[in-house]
This record gives sequence, C-alpha cells and structure tokens, in this order.
Amino acid sequence: MAARLNIHTIAMWLLPALFLAVYLAPLLGVFGWSVSRPEPGAENYVRMLTDADALNIMLRTARVCILVTLTSVLLAYLLAYHWVFGSPARKLFMELCIFIPFWISVLIRAFGWVVILRNKGILNETLLSIGAIAEPLTLVRTEFSVILGMVHFLVPFAVFPIASVMRQIDSRVLLASRGMGASPGFTFWNVFLPLTVPGILASVIIVFVFALGFFITPAILGGGKIVMIAEYIYIQMFQTSNWGFGAALSIGVLAVVAAMAGLLFKVIRPERLVK
Amino acid sequence: MNNFQRDCCELLAERFRGGKLDRRGFLTGLVALGAATVAAPGARAAGQELVVVNWGGDAIDAYSAAFAEAYEAATGNKLKIDGSGPLEGSMKTQFESNSVRWDVCDAEPYSAIRLGREGMMEKIDYSIVDRSKIEPGFDGEFYVPSYFYSNVIAYDAARFGDDVPSTWADFWNVEKYPGKRTLYKWMTGVLEAALLADGVAPAELYPLDVDRALAKIEALKPHIVSFWSSGAESQQLLRDGEASMGLLWHTRANLTKQDTEGEVDWTFDQGLVSPSGWTVIKGNPAGAKAAMEFIALAQNPDNQVTLLNELGNGPANPAAHALVSEEMKPVDASSKENLERQIVLQAEWYADHYGTALDKYLALVSS
Repeated sequence: MAARLNIHTIAMWLLPALFLAVYLAPLLGVFGWSVSRPEPGAENYVRMLTDADALNIMLRTARVCILVTLTSVLLAYLLAYHWVFGSPARKLFMELCIFIPFWISVLIRAFGWVVILRNKGILNETLLSIGAIAEPLTLVRTEFSVILGMVHFLVPFAVFPIASVMRQIDSRVLLASRGMGASPGFTFWNVFLPLTVPGILASVIIVFVFALGFFITPAILGGGKIVMIAEYIYIQMFQTSNWGFGAALSIGVLAVVAAMAGLLFKVIRPERLVK
Repeated sequence: MNNFQRDCCELLAERFRGGKLDRRGFLTGLVALGAATVAAPGARAAGQELVVVNWGGDAIDAYSAAFAEAYEAATGNKLKIDGSGPLEGSMKTQFESNSVRWDVCDAEPYSAIRLGREGMMEKIDYSIVDRSKIEPGFDGEFYVPSYFYSNVIAYDAARFGDDVPSTWADFWNVEKYPGKRTLYKWMTGVLEAALLADGVAPAELYPLDVDRALAKIEALKPHIVSFWSSGAESQQLLRDGEASMGLLWHTRANLTKQDTEGEVDWTFDQGLVSPSGWTVIKGNPAGAKAAMEFIALAQNPDNQVTLLNELGNGPANPAAHALVSEEMKPVDASSKENLERQIVLQAEWYADHYGTALDKYLALVSS
C-alpha cells in the first residue's frame, strides 16, 4: 500500500527535513573541514588536545565559565525566591530588575561597565573623593571585569528555570515539614532546596552553554587579554585562515554543549521547566 | 576585527556627525576610501554595477548609499557599497564557494599576496593602473596601495615634559617613562617594535625573530594595561591617562593630540609604516577590467589629498605630496621626509608568517 502524501504528512516531515538541510548538512561540512584541512587526518584534533596554547585558552574558558555559572545561578536563586514568594510590590520590583537588563544590548552593557570601572570611571572617582583609596583600582581590563560583565548578562537567563520550579512546589509540603517541628532553616535545606534541584541544574546548563559562546564581552572588558574559545575560533577562521583547526575547535565546543544538553534531558525533564 | 581600514570609515562618520566635516568633505572622503565611487568613465555600459568593499560599518552604509544614488543618477552606472570588511577569511570563502560578490577590496597587502599565491586574486593589470602614480617599490603583483598609515609611538606629553620618547627602546623603558602601555591586539607592527627596542638595527629586522620579539613583549607585559583592538579604544586609553604610552595608528594618535590640545603627542620617529591595498578577487562580478579601472581612478592625487586632510591617511600617489598644505605636512605618513624617519613593514614576511606568529603572539597576550 503506497503511503499517501497528504498535507499532514508533509507538515510532520517539514521540521526534520529543515533540520537536515540547514543544520545537519552544514555541520557535517564543518566536521569534514576539521579532518581534511590542510591535510586528511586527525591532526587538528591532536593539536587541539596537545598544543599548549590551545589548551591554555580552553582552560581559561572553562575557568571563566564555571565561575560565571556559579555566581549567576546563586544570584538567580535569590532573585527567583523573592520573585516567586515576595509581596506583590516586591514581585513587581523583581520583574523590573529581571526584564529591563534583558532588553539592553550586550554591547551597551559591556561599555557601561567600562564607564563605571575604568581608572577615571564613576566607581574609582567616588572612592577617591571619599578617600577610601589613594590610587585608582585596576578594575576594568581584567578577568574580574569579564566575569562581572558576563554574570550581569546571564543572571536573567538563570532566573526563569529556577523560578518555574519554585512555582510548582506544593506549599503544603513545606507546611508539613514545619508542622512536624522542623526549623525554617532545616525545612529550606532538606525540603525546599532538594525540590528546586532540577531548576538549578537547568540554569547551570543554560548559563554554562551561553557562557561558552561569549565573544563581545570578554573582548571589550578583558583589555584584549582574555581570549576565550569563541574568539579563538573566530581568529582561526578569519584572521589566520586556519579553517581546519577552527573547525576542529568548533566540533570540540559542540561536543561539550551536546554532552551538557544530553545531561539536561537525562537528569531533568525539560518539559517541567516550561510549565 | 577592527583594523585600520575599518577605523578610517568610523573616523569619517564621527567627524561628520560631530559637525567637523561638511557633506561635501564627507562625500569626497568616502570616495577616496572607496566607500563610494564614481563609475569609471566611458568603458562600461550604463547600468552596470561595481561593488567596492571596505570596512564601513552600518552608519557609513546608510550615508554612502544615499550619496550613491546621486552618483547613479549622474553617471548611469550603478554603484554598490559593501561595508562588511574584506577579511582574508571572507575573501577566501567567496572564492572557494564560487560566489564572488566584491569587485574591489580594500584589504591588507599580505592577505592579497597570500591569496594571490594560492591563485585566488587577479594580478594587477599595469596597462590600466599607472605604475608611475604609485610610491616606488609598492607596485605589488596582487595589490596597489590605496593609502599609507603608520604604527607610531603616542605618549602622555603632559607627564613626560621636555624629555619625550622617540624610540621603541624608550617605549620599553618604564623606569625613565613610567606608566602603563598599550599595544595592538592583531600584532601588525608590534613584533618590529619589540625587536627595535631590543637593539636590532632597522635594516636587519627581516626576517623577524619571532621568539626574541615575544620574549621582549613578555618582559613588558606587566606594564601593558590593554591590547587594544579598535582605534577608538586606543584613543580612550591615552586620553584618559590609563596608558602613558601606546603603539597607535598615526591617525588616531593625531586625533588624540587634537582632543587633548597637545597633552598627548606622537612622533613618526621609528614609526612602522604600511600601505593598505586595493585588490581584486578572481571571478569578480563586474570583470577584472572594470575593477582595474576603478583602481586607476582612485589614483587621482586630489582624492588622496582629501583623504589626508580628513583622516590623515598618507597618499599612495607620490604626486599628491606636492598638493599637501603646510599644516598637514607633519601628518603625511608617506611624504619623503616622514618616510625617512620610519620603517616599512614587509608585507611579504606577513604573507608567509602572519598566521603562525599571531597564534604565538595571542597565546602570550592571553596567558
């Protein structure tokens, strides 16, 4: 019996076909480059795992991403708690705090931090004028300012999964814990926190994956010295025309992201987060 | 990436918006930069299109597109401006994917040489382009200088008083000239500066001893506040006193001098000078001949002097220097007197070694 090609079947296959055409095919092309340029073989991957310079950049990327993720998720947890459980006035305030930065471009935010943190910036001038410091502090063009700028950008993204999970907690469970004599602290650490773990994990993965791809913020706030993997790939592709190595690095980053996405699906059910 | 060529268009736009430049000056500047252009006379049929790619950015695109329409109306020839920037990787992509969209690129000479050797660029047709209108020694096989710029020492004159730095050895001397330094992130000129500071004679610079240069840079690294990657950033570092000395493009150095009313000054002494190059990708849509005609048109000394007046870019046509005003002579990077004080960057060396050296340099920068 021949399959009937009706509108329903077409609609069902449209998305996978699109996925194949615009995503998988080019991706295979990138993989192809990574094992064929400049010569066929796994040379680019060997270089990626043995070249001290490349390893340094990957280590730095990992360090920055981990610090950014921990800080962002911690801040997001506090924000989400106030957003979900606060009074109506506080909820509104939290919403403003979460949404307004969300709408400001990443470039403007990075330059904003430069204006605040530089030697003759607002912060240093204030500290100097009240006599708290004698010499301006070096705040901008350091790893610190890069992490600050990235956390500022990523906190709102971390808030949503956590807040979503917090909203779904049955308040009667907490009441039961309190009713049986547990202190508020005990209830938080042993009942509330474990219930929010899926949200925390989702936030961790989302923030980490985002942070891996950061380019502009480190470039502006790092004084050129904080080269992360995304910029490194860009350099291989556009500056030094080293396409094979750039492709291998891209595949490496993709593998990390894929592994984390796999973890996301395995440990938590993503559909819970969009309720 | 924000290289010198892109910076020129940003400068023009800033000046235009700031009211320092009238429409006419802005327009002529764009023409000289290739951001806008008149169609070459006669040779081509009306309605044909020539795409010139430079480093314009969004703002410039909007302005120049408006002017382009006026040109189109006047000449009958279509002009398209593409400000997306002819990075080496982008030019290579267009050639390899058989979809060349650019007729003339304002690119790094070493990119033109490197891609030229791989058979991707047109050889310059010197029956159309006039060799005598090029600074001697710069008539490249795959590029023609569009203008000259220099990597110079800019310094905090207010801080250093009468005893001002004039060599790269001074630049490295943080005891005599205290304060932070800033260098260019994309390396052009930086290795040469380090080697000169380390005592290598200008005539013996090439081939560059990369490891020696990197060691010298590493020694200075604790004093480097930033490796700048845009002209505006380099200017801000000097103007705000975050750096007391920097390797800057002479155009930005001069602008900082004007902005600070001389508190920041600069010198052509030991400046590392280089042309930017017109270059043509093989298989360009309007054909090689039309592209070469555009390049020949851009050799016009008047346009080149306008570019010097508006931006400080040194003319590529030696005949243009005679037309330079007394006021602008100290800024003219390619005049005979100023060239004698500087050292020419060797594009051939960059064509062979830029990729590997940049990898090592960036590893040091980011360590």
